[in-house]
Amino acid sequence: MSVNPTRIAIVVIAAIALISAGCHVNRPPNDHAVTQTLYQSMGSDPRTFNPILLTDAASSQAVGDLFEGLVRINPVTTLPEPGLAASWEFSDGDKTITFHLRHDVKWSDGAPFTSRDVVFTMRVIYDPKIPNSAEFSMTVDGQPIKVEAPDDYTVVMRLPRPFAPLFYSVGFGIIPEHVLEPVYAAGNFNHTWGIDTPPDKLISLGAYQMDRYVAAQQIAFRRYPSYWMRDEHGGQLPRLHGQVLLIVPDQNPQYLRFRAGLTDVYSPRAEEVNGLRDDAARLNITVKKVGIDTGSLFFAFNRNPRHYVQNGVTDPRYKWFTDINFMRAMAHAVDKRGIINLCFRGLAVPAVSDTSPENKIFYNPNLTDYDYDLSLSAKILDEAGYRMIRPGVRGDPDGHRLVFSLTTSTGNNVSDEMCAIFKQDLASLGITANYRPLEFVTLVKSLDSSFDWDCMLIGFTGGLEPNDGANFLQSSGNLHLWNPMEPKPATPWEAEIDRLLNEGTTVMDPSQRAPYYWRIQQILHDELPIIQTVRRIDYIAYRNTLENYDPTVWGLYKPEWIEFRPQ
Amino acid sequence: MARFLIKRILIMIPLMLGITFISFIAMSLVPGNFVSNLALDPHISPQVIKQMEAEFGLDQPLMVRYLRWLWQVMHLNFGISIAYRVNVTNLIAERAVNTVLLSLASMVFSWALAIPIGIIVAVRQNSLIDRGLSFFSFLGMSVPAFFLAFLAMDFALWSGVFPVGGTFSPDYAALDAWSKVADRVNHLILPTLVLGVAGVASLMRLMRSQILEIKNSEFVRTARAKGLPERTVLYKHVLRNALNPFVTMAGYGLADLLGGAALVETVMNLQGLGLLLLGAVRSLDVPLVMGSVLMGTILLLVGNLLADIALVAVDPRVDFSTLASQ
Repeated sequence: MSVNPTRIAIVVIAAIALISAGCHVNRPPNDHAVTQTLYQSMGSDPRTFNPILLTDAASSQAVGDLFEGLVRINPVTTLPEPGLAASWEFSDGDKTITFHLRHDVKWSDGAPFTSRDVVFTMRVIYDPKIPNSAEFSMTVDGQPIKVEAPDDYTVVMRLPRPFAPLFYSVGFGIIPEHVLEPVYAAGNFNHTWGIDTPPDKLISLGAYQMDRYVAAQQIAFRRYPSYWMRDEHGGQLPRLHGQVLLIVPDQNPQYLRFRAGLTDVYSPRAEEVNGLRDDAARLNITVKKVGIDTGSLFFAFNRNPRHYVQNGVTDPRYKWFTDINFMRAMAHAVDKRGIINLCFRGLAVPAVSDTSPENKIFYNPNLTDYDYDLSLSAKILDEAGYRMIRPGVRGDPDGHRLVFSLTTSTGNNVSDEMCAIFKQDLASLGITANYRPLEFVTLVKSLDSSFDWDCMLIGFTGGLEPNDGANFLQSSGNLHLWNPMEPKPATPWEAEIDRLLNEGTTVMDPSQRAPYYWRIQQILHDELPIIQTVRRIDYIAYRNTLENYDPTVWGLYKPEWIEFRPQ
Repeated sequence: MARFLIKRILIMIPLMLGITFISFIAMSLVPGNFVSNLALDPHISPQVIKQMEAEFGLDQPLMVRYLRWLWQVMHLNFGISIAYRVNVTNLIAERAVNTVLLSLASMVFSWALAIPIGIIVAVRQNSLIDRGLSFFSFLGMSVPAFFLAFLAMDFALWSGVFPVGGTFSPDYAALDAWSKVADRVNHLILPTLVLGVAGVASLMRLMRSQILEIKNSEFVRTARAKGLPERTVLYKHVLRNALNPFVTMAGYGLADLLGGAALVETVMNLQGLGLLLLGAVRSLDVPLVMGSVLMGTILLLVGNLLADIALVAVDPRVDFSTLASQ
């Protein structure tokens, strides 16, 4: 038979068709409701399974259900409640806290959980050779907290002074001393429980145990049969039998997978919310508004003399950005409505304070927003001496043209669009903003060492404990963006913030503590080192077959009670 | 042949040193380093950042870092990824399997389809088939692969016939052995088509022009004049000569096996090397980036060498002495 190209082409196409048709997958029924297994997507691979070393969201998600802390935060009341510690009491003028541990908690290898594990975990956290994020929030006035264990089920922490933020930071995961102490003693802690650890070697005590991890594919969990928590009828918790986290790096496929029924829960982006709502009945899902984003997204203006004063000459921009009139004009030029409609499809709210309204205790509700009003901006500028030099070009009182750079991190459409809107509004005031997006690591360098930036759109994540923002608020903090690591406060209001922060940590009762942080928000609002923009409204879509699924912006409420409705 | 091989392998050494050194410099020209990613986290103190810099030797000068890396590589140790704290070789090997499978499949697909189609359209130059297939090939070349990937994902969701992205199903672990194979093949079909379409289009154009050019050359006229049947002329003389550039291309294709699918991998959520390396470059995970640069370089150089050897095998006009003197 001769070689006939037409025939070859037909054979190739036929072969492909045959392969496609012949690949029938014989799959056992995988009804999530029958197996009681919750499927979710996560954005990237975990980087470590070591709960002390983790610094990224994916790793926290991967081991979050494996380990537990002494206390947990109730996401509805935003107050601490018992975790591994069944109760605690204060003594010695709130400087000593005695935790009474649960007696019924066992590690997954059968060993009992005791106070030795807590003491060991704290020793690891304070070890200077072990980089971790718990140390910072467990340090009071530069000193570690002294910890001792009078017996197996009592832990006593002694602080140099009363320190209210402690309860939001003692939630770090406790690690098993009997497994990790030998590793730690040998100096190998930093390379222990990496992602190449077989899951059965991760000795845990949380609601779930890791079943398997397939790199770049999925992490599967099964519930821990000896988990200490029981429901009101003494039934086993968690009610789900397992969970699977599918690793799906891009958000578009995450969305498609949720629509295709492969995952049960999905946090839609603003542009996806309406589409999901329209199809909610057909997909048998609920699209729920969870609340207002807990982070903040703001324009910061550089007030750092190290950037502006060179060889004794001060750059005029330094004068503008420290001039409250100029800053007020800037604040009135931020078109929050436009940003909400254009960048967030209407699913956002104007932000006034650096604290989210969802932080019910510490959010100051009495701030009045700077309305978007370009004519008012122009008037303020004119009156302060920033006049039009020629049509479309405004200058400062000394005649310098108002030109500065506008920076944000690359790869984010929303911040791109927000900068474009701001730039355009500034242009109509006669001010030129040169848009200069930077790769994230480059941007960080310019923030913390070269200080070479003028105006920047940047976002921070937020937490419940206001003192977690100390690094940003304090004049000596390295994240005090507009003028980091000041040797002493450069302005009276920065000195006042420092004082309020310090005093705020000594008041133990949250309602008496709140006024300190309200005042800080007021100062930031009045002095305008940063201009708040908007906060996204968070949504979650989930299958109607899920019961007790109760998301809040601070996490799931009673996640142990989640289950698929029995059919 | 031995002389040729030795010479080529010796040339590879300075080449690899040069390529890796330039990549290393390029990576360190970017301000910041991996731990800068953590600097904006309010929970991480500057001291912790300093500790991590010291732990991974990021506080050392450029030459020290490069020589340390080189020393490791000479001991066949590609180092530890900063982000994952795991051996780079394991990290890359884990994902390379997916990427190589996909690239091989799409290469086989596009070659197996493009060469016969190229012959058909060349033989029937200017016929309706030629015009029609040429139209489709231009279309295939001009539509970017990532856009096709989006269309394919939409198609998968709409038709329900193919899985919506991914390398295997979430319940993969519970399947029997045959179903596991079938499941993976199922997940490979759409990406293979997406990646292969552009390949089919351009390869078939190349095949067509090669044949047309050679068809009019003098040795073909001689063959015809000798009275050989047209079939023999086409398959023995024209085709064999027309395939020469394809041999070289196959060699380059070896390097493409690892990196050629990055965009499609991202869109279709195939866990290959593309996403891993993009993340590594953006977060400045130097050991991981360097490991993959080195592997890519080796594949490119070895592929080139293999292509040259194959060229000697298929083309009697080329031999090792002419290659070595180039």
